[in-house]
Amino acid sequence: MAKLVSDTMHLRRVLFAAVASSALLASLYAYQKPFRVYPGVEYTNFPLPPDYQERTEWVFARLIYPAVVGYPRWTMDYPRSDRHLSQALRRLTRISVRSVEQPVSLDDGDDVYNWPWLYGVEVGYWNLTDDQCRKMRDFLLRGGFFMCDDFHGTREWEIFTNSMRRVFPDRPIVEIPNDDPIFHVIYDLDSRYQVPGAQFLETGRTYEHDGFEPRWRGIYDDKGRIMVAICHNMDLGDSWEHADNPKYPEKYSALGFRIAANYVVYAMTH
Amino acid sequence: MFEFFFKYPLPVFRKGSLVFLASWPLWSLALAIAAAAGALAWLNWRRRAAAGSPVRAGQALTIWLLQSSLAVLLLLLLWQPALSLSTLAPQQNIVAVVLDGSRSMDLADDGSPRRERMLSLLRGGLLASLERRFQVRLFQLDGGLTRLASLDDLKPGAPATRIGAGLQRLLDESATLPLGAVILLSDGADNTGGIGLPAITALRQHRVPIHTIGFGSTAIVHDVELSGLDLPPRMLAGSRVEAVAAIRQSGFSGQSARLTVRKDGAVLAQSNVVLGPEGKTQTERILFNAGPAGVSNIDVSLAPLPGESNSANNRLTRAVFIDGSPRRILYVEGEPRWEFKFLRRAVEDDKSLQIVSMLRTTQNKIYRQGVSNPKELEDGFPSKVEDLFDYQAIILGSVEAGYFTTTQRDLIREFVDRRGGGLLFLGGRFALADGGYQAEPFPELLPVELPRRTGTFVREPAYAALTPAGRESLICRIEDDPRANVERWKKLPYLANYQDAGTPKPGALLLASMTAGGAKLPLLVTENYGRGRTAVFATAGSWRWQMLQPLADMSHETFWRQLLRWLSGLTPSHVAASTPEPIVQDAATVELRADVRDATYLPAADAQVEARLSQGGSTLPPVPLRPDPRQPGVYTGSASVPQPGSYAAEIVATRSNTELGRSVATFRREDGTAENFHQEQNRDLLDQLASQTGGRYFRPNDTGQLPSEISLSSAGISQHETRDLWNMPAFLLLALLLRSTEWLLRRRWGFV
Repeated sequence: MAKLVSDTMHLRRVLFAAVASSALLASLYAYQKPFRVYPGVEYTNFPLPPDYQERTEWVFARLIYPAVVGYPRWTMDYPRSDRHLSQALRRLTRISVRSVEQPVSLDDGDDVYNWPWLYGVEVGYWNLTDDQCRKMRDFLLRGGFFMCDDFHGTREWEIFTNSMRRVFPDRPIVEIPNDDPIFHVIYDLDSRYQVPGAQFLETGRTYEHDGFEPRWRGIYDDKGRIMVAICHNMDLGDSWEHADNPKYPEKYSALGFRIAANYVVYAMTH
Repeated sequence: MFEFFFKYPLPVFRKGSLVFLASWPLWSLALAIAAAAGALAWLNWRRRAAAGSPVRAGQALTIWLLQSSLAVLLLLLLWQPALSLSTLAPQQNIVAVVLDGSRSMDLADDGSPRRERMLSLLRGGLLASLERRFQVRLFQLDGGLTRLASLDDLKPGAPATRIGAGLQRLLDESATLPLGAVILLSDGADNTGGIGLPAITALRQHRVPIHTIGFGSTAIVHDVELSGLDLPPRMLAGSRVEAVAAIRQSGFSGQSARLTVRKDGAVLAQSNVVLGPEGKTQTERILFNAGPAGVSNIDVSLAPLPGESNSANNRLTRAVFIDGSPRRILYVEGEPRWEFKFLRRAVEDDKSLQIVSMLRTTQNKIYRQGVSNPKELEDGFPSKVEDLFDYQAIILGSVEAGYFTTTQRDLIREFVDRRGGGLLFLGGRFALADGGYQAEPFPELLPVELPRRTGTFVREPAYAALTPAGRESLICRIEDDPRANVERWKKLPYLANYQDAGTPKPGALLLASMTAGGAKLPLLVTENYGRGRTAVFATAGSWRWQMLQPLADMSHETFWRQLLRWLSGLTPSHVAASTPEPIVQDAATVELRADVRDATYLPAADAQVEARLSQGGSTLPPVPLRPDPRQPGVYTGSASVPQPGSYAAEIVATRSNTELGRSVATFRREDGTAENFHQEQNRDLLDQLASQTGGRYFRPNDTGQLPSEISLSSAGISQHETRDLWNMPAFLLLALLLRSTEWLLRRRWGFV
């Protein structure tokens, strides 16, 4: 009998511990993930700013995605461009901005819903799974905003749309007209030009592959608000990354920052 | 029994005053009592000393007290006590017998109809007994007062009863007659909702006692009654509205009844109500959507239950005005943040709310959304009364108090106090204590006492929970069912951040609190201020409710829509029209009132104000409203309402041919429906009426003393008389009791 009681109490303790742990895990699961650092293809051991642990309103959330081939392309320009843009937004706007970025995976439970502004680089190489497409669609329809950049030409466009059409099979990708608020929310950006990547320093060309013309495209929701801002045939990421590079022309970084400032404020107002 | 011992009935003692008929002065009675007591004490002392036996002091004192009491009694009788009182002179006074002729007297709750029992009582001897002593006049009381030649002339089934007005008329018209008393035979059901203190005071001034005889059961009998309905007379189009129904029942405890809300006949909402304890009023709340704009009839009904004695009291109808004009809310935000975006999104599908926002995107730039023209808010926050007072509510987000000039701060206070607008403070790093809101005039506007420190805004998770007040509040009602709503709040995702807003002020309402950092802090606090209202929502992180819940979940949208409707929906326009009651019962006129304000919302005392009444498709001639000299800007008047039904009174105010504003008040005229409600005997009313006028309440089978009691009045032609008390049996019995007690004690103690 004594053993039976002892076993029962032990079972209760185990059950209690299991339930408590589940509740704790469930609550942590819903919370924002803490800041984390991944090795980048271009930068490793990039120094952390002293205020990197500060909690803020807006964070540069970088999308982690599986690529069609090769290395983890989602880390392109990471984290230098992210932190340069964060610095610029602190200086140019009244937004409370974290000094460091946050890599976010669509496979990480509900974490993506904690970061309503999401950036994807080199999406001409991404290959989202069906689950990731569903999560991305849900994220956008709930009110999230996705900006993608640094993909060029016809081939990369097709790879991009292969995944994006699975996110939104029923929504067209359209050109964003000049009079859309996204081009006026802070800066009036009627006159835009192609922003090249760092390859411009060697080749002198502003385009890559057959991406001769910059395309400012988007996917709208039912209320006429942009959910996905698609920067095709340009490399805004490099314009942020090389903003402190004396060889990289200032005018490209200036436009890159203005575009980003408008997109971020648009995402926080529409 | 009382009369056996005391010779006269109790009312004679109540009405009369004690006198002594002996010619000797009263001081001689006191002297005689003192002398007798002294003599008895001396005799007892002598006897105790002579007896030689040990008589204890307590025993001697008892004997002396009994002897002295007997001596006092005998001396009192020698001075011939009597009662002095006025009585009505026989056959010289009028007694008005007032019979309730309303429909509720047809109810047979005690076996036979109340009216039949009333007539039986009168015909069974009461009327004859009265006629032997007085001149009796019969009256029928219902909506008016009618003289009857005989009991046979009573016309039952009248649709209304106005007891106060009827009695007042009777007493006014009888002012020159020797009216000795009024006898009211009624169930006390009064369509005006009772008799107020002013009416009773007016009746008392006539100094005529009103005796009441109550008929009918004092409790509701085997019936379910919708005894009250609380519904706002104005509501915003498409908004969720709460109807509060009061239900009483007898004989159906524990049973379920179907509560239904209909708008112009169409069912809007239904719920099952489990009926509570016998005779207790239970309150049930039911939510419905107000639907499109216009004047509508909302009726709330309980489905009749099998065997219910009266199903005509299961339905109540109200005329309401559903306002289709959107409420404009000025949202001032000091920094781009997610709460701003998601708050705007939450209400954008609500046609009754329109958010006009100004957002400081950079140090020098303001981004405006929702403006009606390019000029609106072009120069930032309004500095003129007419610009700011164009809105119905203001939201202050994460924007420093120092951002506003002194003029603008004063305008914000006036906006709430004078304009009657709503003001909502949100949490944020530049808000509340961290935003310098200890500066005037914000401390008096805020519903909380702010902490005297900064660093109160924390970007850490917090969990919201409803308080008892929040469970009752429509603002916090995400789910229709109150219990499900409490559970729903418990399951809401965490708030992204929180702010310590301090402590709610006395009189403020704490609707929701939050658990954060191991502490419990106020989350949502509301308060009325001046003509308006203020609130604090001490977080900027409710957007997580949207992002962390399934797309179909509407809790975030529902909460914000309800909070902002509360904030802006009650803000009056330049003209606020109203009627004293939503129902005009059995009357052909309605009192109208309008509070008229000028362009700056100061009382407009020199306006021309008229009411345009309409019923259905027909319009009545306009009625001018006159200024109330006691209240500047208030205009009142009476309008005729010829037919039962729902009415809309549009009140238009103009000054110098310029319209100041207009507003709609709604009401219903109902004839004959009040008699279906509160059908049990209103014993309290009849009791109060009798006791306050010097009369008495009688049960029908307890009226034997009524004629003689009526005689004890000085209201009409009266005569003075004295009634001897010395030969009252009670005195004899008391004397015997004192003497025999003394004798028994002496025997017991052995000193006879």
